Amino acid sequence: MRGRFLQTPEAMAGTAILVLLATMALAAPLIFPGDPLRIAGPALVPPFQDWTLPLGTDRLGRDVLAELFHGARTSLVVGLAAAAASLAVGAVIGTLAGFAGGLADEALMRLTDAFQTVPGFLLALAFVSIVGPSLSVVVMAIALSAWTGPARIARAEVLSIRERDFVAGARVVGMHPLEIAFREVLPNALPPVLALSSIIVAQAILIEAALSFLGLGDPNRVTWGGMVAEGRTVLRTAPFLSIVPGIALVVTVLGVYLAGEGAVESAAVKKGLS
Amino acid sequence: MAEHLLTVDGLAKRFRRGDSTVAAAEAISFHIDAAETLALAGPSGSGKSTVARLLLRLIEPDAGSVTFEGENWLALEGAPLRTHRAKMQMVFQDPLAAFNPRATVARVLDDPLRIHRIAPRAERPRRIAGLLERVGLSTDLAGRAVHEVSGGQRQRVAIARAIATKPSLIVLDEAVSALDVSVRGKILELLADLQRTDGIAYLFISHDLGLVRVFAHRVAILDGGRLAEQGDARAVIDAPQSAVGKALVAATPKLHGFTGQDAS
Amino acid sequence: MSAAPQVPLVALRGLTVAYGDDALALSAIDLDIRAGERLALIGESGSGKSTLALAVAGLLPASAKSAGTIVWGGAPPLGGRDIGFVFQNPAGSLDPVMAVGRQVAEVARTHLGLSWTDALARARDLFGRVGLPDPDTLVHAYPHQLSGGQKQRVTIAAAIAARPKLLIADEATSALDTIVQAEIVALIRRLVAEDGMTLLFVSHDIALAAELADRIAVLRNGKLLELGSTRQVIGRPQDPYTQSLVVAHISLDSPPLFAATTDIPVNG
Repeated sequence: MRGRFLQTPEAMAGTAILVLLATMALAAPLIFPGDPLRIAGPALVPPFQDWTLPLGTDRLGRDVLAELFHGARTSLVVGLAAAAASLAVGAVIGTLAGFAGGLADEALMRLTDAFQTVPGFLLALAFVSIVGPSLSVVVMAIALSAWTGPARIARAEVLSIRERDFVAGARVVGMHPLEIAFREVLPNALPPVLALSSIIVAQAILIEAALSFLGLGDPNRVTWGGMVAEGRTVLRTAPFLSIVPGIALVVTVLGVYLAGEGAVESAAVKKGLS
Repeated sequence: MAEHLLTVDGLAKRFRRGDSTVAAAEAISFHIDAAETLALAGPSGSGKSTVARLLLRLIEPDAGSVTFEGENWLALEGAPLRTHRAKMQMVFQDPLAAFNPRATVARVLDDPLRIHRIAPRAERPRRIAGLLERVGLSTDLAGRAVHEVSGGQRQRVAIARAIATKPSLIVLDEAVSALDVSVRGKILELLADLQRTDGIAYLFISHDLGLVRVFAHRVAILDGGRLAEQGDARAVIDAPQSAVGKALVAATPKLHGFTGQDAS
Repeated sequence: MSAAPQVPLVALRGLTVAYGDDALALSAIDLDIRAGERLALIGESGSGKSTLALAVAGLLPASAKSAGTIVWGGAPPLGGRDIGFVFQNPAGSLDPVMAVGRQVAEVARTHLGLSWTDALARARDLFGRVGLPDPDTLVHAYPHQLSGGQKQRVTIAAAIAARPKLLIADEATSALDTIVQAEIVALIRRLVAEDGMTLLFVSHDIALAAELADRIAVLRNGKLLELGSTRQVIGRPQDPYTQSLVVAHISLDSPPLFAATTDIPVNG
């Protein structure tokens, strides 16, 4: 599968970007030990002037490269955690709705509708401003707005899977309905739900950046969105302070998206061949 | 009169189709005794599978009563129903569709033993091996995924799962129809052997009257959701009275005329 | 067999087919299909009978590797026009969102160069010929509105729409119940006789093949074990495997699996 996965150039590029990002995130404390928010030199050093500060410094004299590395940690952690949370919540709710049917299905799907009609970003914004900004709150806020897609897809899959003979077989054996739903049906409903994960990860990274940009990110962590906001005040004199984290965001989202596409495609090819 | 193992009386089920409803089963009454095979025969859409699914409580009837092992089978719900399911098992037509595509043979056989607390965890592998041996399979098969084994082996695994809970009735829904002829005969022999040794009764659903005639004691022929006729399997098939019975017999392909008995 | 008086419609020589790295699906098959005959290919799953049918029709998947020759008696055939193919699952070979009449008309239009109006008229005629009730209405129906037997009649109409020389039926009745199966077999028999087609009938059911075919070819694990007239193959099978198939067949006169049934109550 790996061989086939890396066959398309898009998938290769996406994977390379993600590997690079993961390396950055993991290596950040080793290459740039200590607090990335500490003052490292004079303020507003432009990039490529001082080789100890390759990307220069910001308004407060903080090392931009160090911030970029540590920011990768935040982006990836929030992206993955929020996607995992929304996929898990969505899959469970979608499975329950699809498997139970009737009134429970109706209630759960109307709840899904309610969440889906509110723009995801506004929901996250409201949640963070009420509960207060911290990394786990940001993750929850994003998950709150992103679980509806996985829930709908999981429900649609479950509706077709629950009619299959092996589910009838599990009932005949006397299996408890919850065990049937989560042990027999859910694992078979997962592949199309997981295909959403790249979109959700990319979306989560962007929402996190936007929240940070508005000052609603975790104040004790470096975030790319926060860096863009920080640079905004000196946009005319030092545009690189906004451009560098902005490019990092674009490249990351692109990488997640390309790798995700590659994974879905190779899964489709594999399914088609078997 | 001694009580039957299973007594079905006036079973009816209608399905909604568009704006109207269609009778999938209507006024179905029959009984099965212990260690007896009753065949349900009939063309597609005659209601055979509906009756099977009604009996197994996979769908609920609109009317009628079912008495199984002396209990009002249709009154059972929830946990008591799940417990009683041990006594009425099923083997499906397509053994591939009947198992979770991710399951291994061992897991398929472990489920009934675990759910009905037939054996503690430590003892289950030995029980699984015993079940595999009982249905004529090698115990090495336990670790294999169900989609890796052959069609005939898979149907044997399905039978092993069905007998794991020591049922008194097994519904065989076209259980041998999809198998190769050479495999089919051996599976039928296995089923007949299980009936002899364990006294299991079968509801044998098939559209193939040839199979019904060799395997079943009695037959009920369905047509359009209604019973057309029932009686001793060989008596009915050798001299069918109903129109559908006559049509089924006439439509069954025959080898004689080509075999050795042929005069020319 | 080599002394056959008829000219073969198609002659297979050393036909070998493999899918991927697996064992050979067909190995070195030599077989003549005679013009105008009804030839049955029988065998169990994995015997290669469907592969052989697909190879004759030129429908092998691109991933299959094949060797040997398929020589046609006349001009090389055009798939779809000179060979009609009926698959096991009629639902899979019909377009669910196109009226069934148009699907049949399209074959006639493509291969016979008819106008749409003429092609639709031909589709109506064909629906009548394959025994579909009320052809004028049914040509406008969609596949989901038809029963399994009716769908199979539509695919047969599509298969014969371009007046093929060879009709291949690959387990065409296996998904149908006994009564509908008998009707479809009778239909195929009548159409083949009326149009002078050659029939290649692929089946796992030896009795069904015996009822329909002039000759029977027995395949197992990709090899041709036995080939002869139906009377020979069924009445005096030479190969032990064919003998076992004949013996294993369960029909209305097979002895029951139960020695005694007298102790079973027959009260209603």
